[in-house]
Amino acid sequence: MFRLVAQRLLALVPLLFIVSVLAFSFTSLLPSDPVDLILGDTGTQEQHEMLRERMGLNEPLVVRYFQWLGKAVQGDLGTSFFNSVSVTDAVLLRLPVTLSLTAISALIAIVVGIAAGVAAALHPRSWIDRLATVGATFGQAVPNFWFGLILVAVFAVNLRWFPATGFTPISVSPWDWLRSVTLPSLALGLSSSAAIARQVRSAMVGVLQQDYIRAARAQGLSSRRVILRHALTNAMVPVVAVLSFQITVLLGGALIVEQVFAINGLGTLAIAAVRQQDIPMLQGLVLVMVGLVVLVQLATDLLYGLLNPKARPT
Amino acid sequence: MKKWITTSGVIAALALGLAGSPASAQGSGTFKYAEQVKLITMDPQKQSGSGVPFLRPAYESLFEKGPDGENVPLLATEYTVDGLDVTIKLREGVSFSNGEPFNAEAAAANINRGVEIGIVEGLKTVESAKAIDEYTLGIKLKEIDPAIITTLCYTGGMMIAPSAMADPALDRNPVGTGPYVHSKDESREGEVQVYVPNPTYWDKDMIGLARYEVWEIPDDTARLNALKTGQIDAGNWLSNPQAAIIDKSPDLKLIRNNGGLNYHVIISDREGTVVPAFADPMVRKAMALAIDRDAFNQAIQFGLAVKSFQPYGKGDWAYDPALEGVYEYNVEKARELMAQSKFPDGFTFDMPSIPIYQPRLEALAGFFNEIGITMNIVPVEPGTLARRSRTTDFPATNLVWNTVTDPKFLALRYIYEDAAYNPFKAKPSEALLALAQEGLTSVETDVRAPIYHKMAAQLADEAFLIFVTNAPILIGVSDDTAENPTVRYRYGEDSINLRGLKAND
Repeated sequence: MFRLVAQRLLALVPLLFIVSVLAFSFTSLLPSDPVDLILGDTGTQEQHEMLRERMGLNEPLVVRYFQWLGKAVQGDLGTSFFNSVSVTDAVLLRLPVTLSLTAISALIAIVVGIAAGVAAALHPRSWIDRLATVGATFGQAVPNFWFGLILVAVFAVNLRWFPATGFTPISVSPWDWLRSVTLPSLALGLSSSAAIARQVRSAMVGVLQQDYIRAARAQGLSSRRVILRHALTNAMVPVVAVLSFQITVLLGGALIVEQVFAINGLGTLAIAAVRQQDIPMLQGLVLVMVGLVVLVQLATDLLYGLLNPKARPT
Repeated sequence: MKKWITTSGVIAALALGLAGSPASAQGSGTFKYAEQVKLITMDPQKQSGSGVPFLRPAYESLFEKGPDGENVPLLATEYTVDGLDVTIKLREGVSFSNGEPFNAEAAAANINRGVEIGIVEGLKTVESAKAIDEYTLGIKLKEIDPAIITTLCYTGGMMIAPSAMADPALDRNPVGTGPYVHSKDESREGEVQVYVPNPTYWDKDMIGLARYEVWEIPDDTARLNALKTGQIDAGNWLSNPQAAIIDKSPDLKLIRNNGGLNYHVIISDREGTVVPAFADPMVRKAMALAIDRDAFNQAIQFGLAVKSFQPYGKGDWAYDPALEGVYEYNVEKARELMAQSKFPDGFTFDMPSIPIYQPRLEALAGFFNEIGITMNIVPVEPGTLARRSRTTDFPATNLVWNTVTDPKFLALRYIYEDAAYNPFKAKPSEALLALAQEGLTSVETDVRAPIYHKMAAQLADEAFLIFVTNAPILIGVSDDTAENPTVRYRYGEDSINLRGLKAND
């Protein structure tokens, strides 16, 4: 297991290198000039040239890349073009926000998805199954930002149960933290729960028809034990693959939902960086997001091995 | 199996352990304002656009605008302008929040730094500044500048503590003389900036809050929801659907503050180098007459703007009521003018567009099409419109103009042969040039106003600047804020005057 983790972490190095080269090249191809955005309408040509020089934009692309890379390997992702904020600090400040949003969304997706999938599989072609199918279709069809707006209108603006915007760190108040992440996490998590529910239902229906399930029932094991211990554990193997993909989707979705709820996470930072063409910030964000996705996949592999001994590395 | 569980548990614990960041408190005595733009810098001399609400709590300027737009001394007490020499008497007994004294040396260092950095447009006429005595500041101008005191009402006149100028992180550590100081520990980068009372403030009676917060909420709907739920007391908006909702909501109020943005079309190629038709004043007048500004305002700006025929809005000293309706929508007359011109069959030209202006340009294209003019809308990258408009890439362009900008900048931007937005180097008419020069001869607005009225009339006659609408500064507030007698909106700014401001309750 340790070897697997080490191998995956080592594989991260060339991957991040390739991603950094691509991110650097693509952002440098952008047609507009960040100097224009900084100086505004009134900047003179002389100021324009001075600022380009100061920001190092007159250096050849390769030189700029290696200068950046030299610092990046030491944990310094550079400084924002627009203020004195360190990219590393800015990303680390927002990472817990996006991670906690994604974690709660994933929890909602897993709990709701598995419960709905199991319920539907245990009562095939019943009203429960149809309700779960309709719910899953609706959940997958509805865009999460739209669902977020509906949740805000009902539960924040009208009922005042939750705040409409913002994020409270868990260190400030666990209760306020929970209130601040509930609506965005629901907006994000319910669409993923729909995908998980479909997968769980399909896998469970297959597993419940297996001989070993019949044998377990014949031995007099309780229905709960048969479902949870034998059927669900085996049905979860294909579900884990979907889960990995869904968590990646949740990370991407968080970037949009953060806008709806004015949450200061990586998504808000990314959108501001794109608008301002803050190239160092964009590069830092791309690297961190790629790193997160790779870590999610690694965690999935570990979970896969946990559920399926045959899949564990020797 | 246990090892697997342990490893997975460690990973989960690490992920959850990352959750958490510094705190912020709420309570009585707090006023919360939401900004639609992200904070870029708290260094006033590097500020080039929006974001002044982040600066006002900590920084004060030498002068400020009074309720009718007049220049009122703040850190200054009086001034004289004699040709190229400006003499300003400073307020005594003022200190910066770090304890440094505010005096003429400090003020001169600020002006000279602003000139050196060169971002504040209004300081470009300044040669240098020096201390005449401890509380008398002398400013030497490069050229006559009637707007110099107005410049010192805004970021150009904001005073930074001299020792703080050397701080490379000044853009996040403001040190001024303002009624509040920035609380870095309580602020959250990218989310909220917190200000608490300045213990060294020179006019303590004017500190009415225990805490002032400026929230960064760029999403218009999220900002609206925050206002509806009481998470913020006020915030600024552009003329968009969310502002229209505030305007119609019984529990909220939309304040139309002085100033704002004038949307206009600029015929850059007015000598017809690329598009010969643009050299014909009859064509340009026909274009101005073809625009149904009322319909444009209703459809594109949700009825929140007003139609415009000149660079200034009602209430501004340079506004001329006589020009109201000079190009009132009259498509028949526009067609007649086109028929009389050398281009009766119409013509085609390219117009640059950024996404937020696309609906505006589609509406204008429809109006121009009615008189046989085809306007091709050419998308350009967001953030490049101003730069592309300063090149000969397009024979015409479209921009906004801040209506509280001094009229002398009209000439610097559009009229002079070397004006920023005169890329084809068109020679100005003698009449316009003479008026532009005459407008510089006095600092008194009652002397300058008739001159700029004539200039606006001349601009209307030449019609190379086609003004469409004026959208005022829009500030959305809660009912409580609307009824708060201490709330005073700064003239020409999207911010609230913090001196004397008290919390809503």
